[in-house]
Amino acid sequence: MTRDVFVFVECKDSVPRKASLELLSVGRQVASHFSSGLFAVVVGSGVKDAAQMVSGYADTTVLVDNESLADYGWDTYGSVLEGVLKKYEPMFLLGMSSMTGKDLFPRIAVRLQAAMISDAVGLDLEGEGIKIKKPLFGGKVISWLAPKADSMVIVTFRPNSFAVGNAGEKGPIVEEQFTAETNPGIKPISFEKTGSKKVDLQEADFIICGGRGMKAAEHFSMLDEIADLMGGRTGASRTVVDSKWREYDDQIGKSGKTVSPKLYIGCGLSGALHHIMGMDTSGVIVAINKDPNAPIFQYADYGIVDDLFAVLPALKDELKKTREDT
Amino acid sequence: MKVLVFIKEVADTEARIIISSDQKDLEIENKYTVNFFDEFAVEEAIRIKESLKDVEITVCTFAPPRAVEALRTTIAMGADRAFLIDSRNHESDDPLIVSRILAGFAVKEGFDLILCGRQAMDDESANVGPMIAEFLKIPHVNQVTRLQVSGNGTAEVQNEIEGGKKVSEVLLPALLTTQKGLNEPRVPLITGVMKAMKTEIAVLDPAAIEIPFGSIDRETSKILVLSYELPAKRPSVSIIEGASPEEKATGLVRALKEEAKVL
Repeated sequence: MTRDVFVFVECKDSVPRKASLELLSVGRQVASHFSSGLFAVVVGSGVKDAAQMVSGYADTTVLVDNESLADYGWDTYGSVLEGVLKKYEPMFLLGMSSMTGKDLFPRIAVRLQAAMISDAVGLDLEGEGIKIKKPLFGGKVISWLAPKADSMVIVTFRPNSFAVGNAGEKGPIVEEQFTAETNPGIKPISFEKTGSKKVDLQEADFIICGGRGMKAAEHFSMLDEIADLMGGRTGASRTVVDSKWREYDDQIGKSGKTVSPKLYIGCGLSGALHHIMGMDTSGVIVAINKDPNAPIFQYADYGIVDDLFAVLPALKDELKKTREDT
Repeated sequence: MKVLVFIKEVADTEARIIISSDQKDLEIENKYTVNFFDEFAVEEAIRIKESLKDVEITVCTFAPPRAVEALRTTIAMGADRAFLIDSRNHESDDPLIVSRILAGFAVKEGFDLILCGRQAMDDESANVGPMIAEFLKIPHVNQVTRLQVSGNGTAEVQNEIEGGKKVSEVLLPALLTTQKGLNEPRVPLITGVMKAMKTEIAVLDPAAIEIPFGSIDRETSKILVLSYELPAKRPSVSIIEGASPEEKATGLVRALKEEAKVL
């Protein structure tokens, strides 16, 4: 086994996802610490440009590009990734704690008998070791874990856990041929694209989230306009989703998605614990609520105590100005 | 048809959690519940039984004995049998070990379909479902939002994947992880609760289960828990004052730009 660091690059519409660049940036630190190589692994169909794009972040980019990898499946992608890992024998594989990551890596961990640590938010390098930071109980407790050194280590991180560094000189791209094996037990019938949301909720830098105080489904257009303006996403609380004002895909909280944007604005949200657990690792938290005693203010950096229907139009205009200034 | 449901008992959202002074242990207030996503798995198993009749539902958990209560809840809902595999002398921080044990139980019991929640609320790891499937060499489908099991050994499954929803035909035996939206878990009826009180729940020693997937000894764990700590606390909120909503909005954007530097 080498001490190399591999990053599994996820692509969306053949473009590397931002979180994969975050992983390459932190992967660089890990590789430097262990004086080893940093590899990007790009798997898919028509992903040569994606490999070009990430090659500036890695020493070597391993590319597997063939038509049978057009649609993701744990069976096809899994057989290819397994082939790559068995050939190169890295010490670390870093990936995203995404729907794909949660589908693919556990099976890989079994095949390679790897130490598996998932849904982490940070790491610490010291001496011979690596320490992984992982929240438990919706962020009530932080645990520090260490993999035992005798096997490969797979770690998945939440999007927005690390900053994206600058690309350097492009490293070589090595194209590999591995057969994508299809599992005979699963026959795809159809695929329905849900929404045309440009930004993934978990990857968004900016989230504006509405709670019960939004009062009706149609008022969410105000939040959507601000989200679009900021290149971010609109989120929703559980009550909002249960009332069918928004889709489950938008739900932030313990029974929905865990998010960690740079800026989170909560509007008309009381701040129930199960919601807080899905967003309290965000960079800066803003709460807008007319009730000064709403629990959300205990978790916020900035607060406005006022009627959100009066604040939001003004906020939109102000944000627009800052966008135009820059 | 045999349906296996794997559940986890997790600390309730409101439970108080205290970190020991040496930071090595957690003391969790005695408020536990069936993992949110596992309830959909139990409910779905019951619905399959209601539509296909000749179905036996077995629920199993790898946990300390207190989790018998969670198993009773599933019996009260309508499961037929429940087993607790005693975790007290075993490692439960390494998902490979947990998955070997549960996969071993599945081999011992036999199954046509395995259901479990898409992830546990306490560690949000989402590993054990697909790992069990890999050990058993059966297909899995994650985050299932619709399920139609036919009598002829197949199931039509809709699940959430990156960017949309996929429908597939799955050959049984298979493992499916359940997502919110699949169903509305029922509240047990009083007759169910009475039945659950009388049901004997077997407690199994992992050492007594033949596990053909590798070692389950603590020494083989690949994960070391170093310490626990509280998350860093945020400074208290700074309330933006102003004479009008407009002024407050202006003040907020200025603070986000100049102070927090996030705009």
